[in-house]
Amino acid sequence: MLSLILILIACIYFPGVIVKTKAIFSGRKGPGILQPWFDIFRLLRKGNVYSTSSSFIFQISATIYLATVFVAALFVPFEENNAILSFSGDFVFFAYLLGLGRFLIILSALDVSSGFEGMGANREAFYSMLMEPAFFILLGSLAMFTGYTSFHDIFINLHYNNYFSAMIGLIAGYVLANITLVETSRLPIDDPLTHLELTMVHEVMVLDHSGYDLGIIKIANNLKFVLFSTLSANCLIPQTLDLTIRIIVFLVLQVLFSAGIGWLESFRARNKMALNAQYILSINAISIILIFVVIILKNKI
Amino acid sequence: MTQIFKIALLISFGIFILPKKWKYAFGLVLHLMVILGSASWALDVFTNGTVTIDLGVTTWSGPIVLIIDPLSAFFNLIINLICFCGIIYAGGYLKPYMPKKRSVSIALHLFSFLWLHGAMILVTSLRDGMAFLLAWELMSLFSFILVIFEAQRESTLKTGINYLLQMHLSFALIMLGFLMASAQTGELSFEGVAKYFEQGNNTSLFLLFFLGFGIKAGFIPLHSWLPRAHPAAPSHVSGVMSGVMIKMGIYGIIRVITMLHHDLMTIGIIVLVVGSVSGLLGVIMAIMQHDLKKLLAYHSIENIGIIGIGLGIGLIGKASGDEQMMLLGFAGALLHNLNHALFKSLLFFTAGNIYYAVHTINMDHLGGLVKNMRFTSYAFLIGALAISGIPPFNGFISEFLIYNGIVNHLSTAVFSTFLLVLVALLSLVLIGGLCVFCFTKAFGMSFLGSRRMEYPAPVQEVPSIMLIPAGLLIAVILSIGFLPSFYGGVVINILQNFNAPVSANISDTIIHTLGNIGHVNLIFVSVLIVLFGIRAWQQSKVKQASGPTWGCGYTAGDFKHQYTPTSYADSLRQLADPIIEYNRHYTSFDEKEIFPPAKKFHTDSKDLIEEKTILSWVHLIVKTLPKAGVAQSGLINHYLIYPMLFLIIISLLTILNYL
Repeated sequence: MLSLILILIACIYFPGVIVKTKAIFSGRKGPGILQPWFDIFRLLRKGNVYSTSSSFIFQISATIYLATVFVAALFVPFEENNAILSFSGDFVFFAYLLGLGRFLIILSALDVSSGFEGMGANREAFYSMLMEPAFFILLGSLAMFTGYTSFHDIFINLHYNNYFSAMIGLIAGYVLANITLVETSRLPIDDPLTHLELTMVHEVMVLDHSGYDLGIIKIANNLKFVLFSTLSANCLIPQTLDLTIRIIVFLVLQVLFSAGIGWLESFRARNKMALNAQYILSINAISIILIFVVIILKNKI
Repeated sequence: MTQIFKIALLISFGIFILPKKWKYAFGLVLHLMVILGSASWALDVFTNGTVTIDLGVTTWSGPIVLIIDPLSAFFNLIINLICFCGIIYAGGYLKPYMPKKRSVSIALHLFSFLWLHGAMILVTSLRDGMAFLLAWELMSLFSFILVIFEAQRESTLKTGINYLLQMHLSFALIMLGFLMASAQTGELSFEGVAKYFEQGNNTSLFLLFFLGFGIKAGFIPLHSWLPRAHPAAPSHVSGVMSGVMIKMGIYGIIRVITMLHHDLMTIGIIVLVVGSVSGLLGVIMAIMQHDLKKLLAYHSIENIGIIGIGLGIGLIGKASGDEQMMLLGFAGALLHNLNHALFKSLLFFTAGNIYYAVHTINMDHLGGLVKNMRFTSYAFLIGALAISGIPPFNGFISEFLIYNGIVNHLSTAVFSTFLLVLVALLSLVLIGGLCVFCFTKAFGMSFLGSRRMEYPAPVQEVPSIMLIPAGLLIAVILSIGFLPSFYGGVVINILQNFNAPVSANISDTIIHTLGNIGHVNLIFVSVLIVLFGIRAWQQSKVKQASGPTWGCGYTAGDFKHQYTPTSYADSLRQLADPIIEYNRHYTSFDEKEIFPPAKKFHTDSKDLIEEKTILSWVHLIVKTLPKAGVAQSGLINHYLIYPMLFLIIISLLTILNYL
């Protein structure tokens, strides 16, 4: 239960932190921390505008997307505090459930018969297909390192206080942070604030969503971001600390992560489209190296 | 009950003399009789254990005895379910053909459909080598007749003959396998094969059976008949062929695997690698297709690959003594047979609905069907989600079992099998991702958006008789998704009859995990209901509007600006270029053309595996054989020399005896 509460708390402030950081770096004062959520609530009070060429898919996709992300959140533990749902191999379910949401968002993009949204749909399907192996191999190597096969058991047993576990935790945290960037369409893969439809990935898919449904999609995106960054934080925070300290460290880490993204988005441009595949494959390569390191370590120690 | 089965097959010849309008009804009754007769055996097996039935027919090799164990019963029930759906579907699908086709060809078609059904039941139940091969041959012959239903098209006939030839290659290899075993043990039957395996070296005989059954199943590189035969056949036939007939190959492989004693690691590695390659290449080739049925045919190869991965994982688990991985791998493979049968026949039936409604299944010409064909699109969407292995549908359950086996084995960190398991994990993950890519394309391009070409007539939903089977299949799909522990229990019980039963502790853990998935699926659905409730409440308070799609400032756009299947696949094509040969055919614009005429642009992709492994050899043979024609001089004195030379060589060879 604690993990869900922490995820929801982090969800409240992280989009604001990103916006604020970017504002500060560009010399503006910027809106308040909660402004992104006020925008979402404004959207939630509105009606939808449907494209004339759309069908039932367009109307159900946003809600199903949110439901998948929400149920996926129930699997994420906060270290030794139980996740609400947990069983052997639950991370497979986690990844495939998020796949359902993605499947429907892609379909809703194809539903409006727009060339731009087709482009976004294609990119989303392609990048997530390339990204998935990194996640599975990373979790596979963590499972190998700890000897357990569910999120909960893996993160409890990850930190048993030797240098190897610290090192593997760091690499895993780094890979998961990168997966977060790709899954939630942040720089350097995708720029959520770009104004050119031709170069968007995720944002172009939801060009025709409006009002309530757009609000729902934004909530789901925020939640998904925190989901992955919580997984990343789980790899980084050592368990020897006191629970209250760990909670504080977690919340601070989330702030730092958001600020880091704000910094990244202020100071660099996004990748050229053609380089994205390479970038994602290099993340895959890191996780494959990690699994080899782990098998060697396990058979050596 | 056995009598009903026999009577149905005996009186089936009557279909030729009945008047045309009664033929279908008679065929349906016969199918029901076959189902009633044979399914009763299977249900009997699940309550009382292995059943032996004497058919009361004696051939030269003795009386035909059916031995139905839980494995046979499992396949028996799949066959009966899918064939039942197939024959109902045929009632609608064949209607437009009724006035066009001659009475005898309709009769032959329905007759073959029934006998294909019967032959598959027999294949799963016979243990005697001769009888098994006979049933196997009947199955191939009748499916050949079914494929060439539209034999007036030359391409269909050619495809059919290609299919028939490959099936006989498969037949010959399986026969060779039986003969090899019987030469050693004196028994031409699966018992003989089992005895052979007990004696030593298992790999060579297994490979013979694997090749023979693998042609039927469609493992790459033995797959080349699949993408041709499925699109050529009518949809109820391709549904049954892809749903269950290729599973007969898998049945054979599993049957042989249950008898293995030695060389498990080698065999496991072979099956795993072939499975991974089939899975990956199958889905990549599928993405490149324009023809919806060809796309589905390549997906059959991919799913056979997943089954192969499961079997390989099971074998490696058995060889390395990891009982849990063994059970999970085999259970996943077995359950995937049922799952694939369900969603693949559902998808083929819905593809048939599209053909029925608009007379094309080329995705470049489709689009926007969701508005006129609501139920078909629901059915296709569920099939697409299920085949992509997405919860809460059935495909996820079997893939999860295999994943769980892999991950559990990884967590033990055994070095010797690590690389193999990693390969299996990587291929499964990539297959999953590519499958999502492929089916968002298939569903999005065919059903969503706007039409890409003018349809010949206003599009209408198909008659409800063609939707009934879809409803039935969806019901079973959902039941597996929400009650996975029940189906998992059934599959694990079947596996306990294999030669090495697993401790109850392990199987209980697996069933418990599956129960958890069922619960999470229920939680997901309830979250969904709550969220839709909130949405409906909010929407009732505010005004809804509709307008044209956002054209990014460009207002003159029309349906031609949509993404096409080719452009959707393009990003993957760039990555997969080395393994697919992709061609663009077009005439470019000349600089001096001020008013260029209409131009054509066409793309296609070649199956490089088929090209390299099969066709290159065929071309070589076709090129070299005419040179042997020198010997055919037409002169009688030349022809007299040949036997003389032959006799001389033979007598010279006898010298070898004395050396």
